Amino acid sequence: MDLHLSPEDAAFREHVRAWLAENLPRHELHTLEERIAWQRKLYEAGFIGMGWPKEYGGAGARPMEQAIVASEMAHVNAPGPVNHLGLNFIGPTLIVHGTEEQKARHLQKILSAEEIWCQLYSEPNAGSDLASLRTNAVDAGDHWIVNGQKVWTTNGPISDWAILLARTDPNVPKHKGITCFIINMRQPGIVVRPLKQLTGGSEFSEVFITDARVEKADVIGEVNHGWEIAQTTLGFERGGSILSRFAVYSGSLERLVQVCKSLQRNGGTAWDDPVTRQKIGQAYAELEVLRYIGLRILSGMEKGHNPGPESAVAKLYYSEFDKRYHELVMSILGPYGTLLIGAPAELEKGMGGDAESDPSWAHDFLWSRAPTIFAGTSEIQKNIIGDRVLGLPKEVRADRLKAKAQ
Amino acid sequence: MDFDFSPEQVMLRDQARDFLVNESPMSLVRQMMDDERGYSSDVWRQMADLGLLSVAIPEEYGGLGMGMVEHALILEQIGRTLCPGPYLATTVLAATAILNGGTDAQKQQYLSAIASGDLIGTFALLEDVIAWDASGVHAEATPDNGSYRLNGRKLFVPFANVAQFIIVPARIGGPDGDVSLFLVDHATPGMTVTPLVSLDLTEKTSQIEFANAMVPAACVLGQPGNGAAVIDAVVQRAAVAAAAEMYGAARASLDMSVEYAKTREQFGQPIGSFQAVKHKLADMLLDAEAAFAATYYAAWAQDDHGDEAATAAHVAKAYVNEAARKVCGEAIQAHGGIGFTWEYDLHLYFKRAKHYEALYGDTQFHREKLAQHAGAAH
Repeated sequence: MDLHLSPEDAAFREHVRAWLAENLPRHELHTLEERIAWQRKLYEAGFIGMGWPKEYGGAGARPMEQAIVASEMAHVNAPGPVNHLGLNFIGPTLIVHGTEEQKARHLQKILSAEEIWCQLYSEPNAGSDLASLRTNAVDAGDHWIVNGQKVWTTNGPISDWAILLARTDPNVPKHKGITCFIINMRQPGIVVRPLKQLTGGSEFSEVFITDARVEKADVIGEVNHGWEIAQTTLGFERGGSILSRFAVYSGSLERLVQVCKSLQRNGGTAWDDPVTRQKIGQAYAELEVLRYIGLRILSGMEKGHNPGPESAVAKLYYSEFDKRYHELVMSILGPYGTLLIGAPAELEKGMGGDAESDPSWAHDFLWSRAPTIFAGTSEIQKNIIGDRVLGLPKEVRADRLKAKAQ
Repeated sequence: MDFDFSPEQVMLRDQARDFLVNESPMSLVRQMMDDERGYSSDVWRQMADLGLLSVAIPEEYGGLGMGMVEHALILEQIGRTLCPGPYLATTVLAATAILNGGTDAQKQQYLSAIASGDLIGTFALLEDVIAWDASGVHAEATPDNGSYRLNGRKLFVPFANVAQFIIVPARIGGPDGDVSLFLVDHATPGMTVTPLVSLDLTEKTSQIEFANAMVPAACVLGQPGNGAAVIDAVVQRAAVAAAAEMYGAARASLDMSVEYAKTREQFGQPIGSFQAVKHKLADMLLDAEAAFAATYYAAWAQDDHGDEAATAAHVAKAYVNEAARKVCGEAIQAHGGIGFTWEYDLHLYFKRAKHYEALYGDTQFHREKLAQHAGAAH
């Protein structure tokens, strides 16, 4: 057991820090061109596709090096790469399951952000129960015709390509009739409509698919075996992402302590209030434990262990922490916490004075309702932990009874 | 960066686990609940032979010279099996105080006797006022003809009923004097040990009255006036040690609950298939895994002797206090009625966790320390 960074990793961290100090954009990236240029710059520095094998243009870097870059970027609030879905999910899926033609056609352009990708998985009636999806693909001889509706699509409006799950056989148990496709987003049959969230922002879209065309060569893996591929895709959970989440929360907590020292409440500063101090101490402990959990996952990944279902524990931990932490922020700041705009500078979340790049406490609070839902709700994570980590008996479910009857 | 145990550490852990499972079964635990002494000298002797008592004592004093990680691995197994006795009192409280505050001669004398299993010791920190540093010490030591006269009252002293020596903090030179530590022999006249009864009947604890108890000057641990720093070191290490035991108790409760949920049937199916139960057990696993990470990170930080040692100890105790309480409590809920019976072993873990929750810094103490740490950076 040695929880220090190795000298090489410590040196690499210094290198990343120095590079970011030199190259971090000085203002918010407003246009798609600026975001693409930033990803290219990161790519040239060797910070993109770090985990991809070298033969596909990646850096073949260790999980620890990836985690260092992710957490150093989070530490300085650096914008992420615009093509993050392509980099984190789609590229790795193609590397494992794609044909040589698919890899040659797409991988390099994912790395360079020449083509942006999104993921067409969730549907209005297929959320946690993704396998019940209804979007269908019909064999039309030399191509497929796709119809249906997708939702919660990140990067929808800017995407050139998507990875798509669609039903190709409605007459078999639901997991066995799904195929994974590559689909061109730039065609008339696809309409992307931004979805306005309760935060007021629109990070996600709805995608309406009407008689859209998919080439025969764009099936990933085998027809009707898409569910297995989706499982791999969903399994590309980044252990390093836990440390970058730590960096984000840690920066927020540091700022919260500063704000507490400025905030006058009930005849003293919030920092003088023992109840507030207790809650800050609790958040500090919980946050440190998140870092330890991240280090433990990384340590396993360094030795080649796939985090597997154990990553459900990390996901559940950070997403539930996010909610608790932002409830704490709101309880300390009182009415100041509810302000989206107009809080005095010494109480504001960000210190940069740029409302767009420094979201308010109120925004972060509203956003905290998302992580326990996206990427598998807390309830789904608990099912995964119960079934696959603890080995508890599976629940009796109507769809399983139906599959059995089939 | 490596969060795994070494092969040697795994071997030590497994050896300790096998020994405790076989030699300290629940029947012995229950027997010791009613036993005045509260431990088996036979088991103690075997623990000494296996090196479990000397694991963290330096080799020059007859120990194995390993660190807090190894110590925590053993304490975790004690928590899992609820092995009763003065293990933490002797190997953590007394040994840490002597190692941090003692003269070389005292270390030779006491540590080697602890390592060999010949000497049981404890530490009498608390008084009527609960404080996890020297500020709560009001006992006084008055110089008297080359000796000291001790007066005062100590509370919640673990296993003082069987300890052959007790380390006693007291102030020399009146209420404003510095705190010194005294190595007090159990047969000292003027010292009265009265048992208190904890809800955890395996954890013997006592009140000690000092009424003009005479202690030779040679029994000052190290130099007079060095008590405050030693107390801090003892509390810090004991916090990690308690976290390890509590984690062990929580893990055992979780394991029992998972097994129960797989086999107990209601409404025609195992209760573990119901989401209400499954999700409860998933939450318990999360708490246990997080408690594991907190405990062993803190143990490693102790051995690393870096800036993080104190902070990580505060994190571990603050976190595991809550996590172990939740896991051990929810285990009773997951079992239903059987979990509330005396006959079933589950309540023993629940009580061990609760007993340690209050000791070596309660949650409030450690959270306040962390708030100070968070606030100091700015």
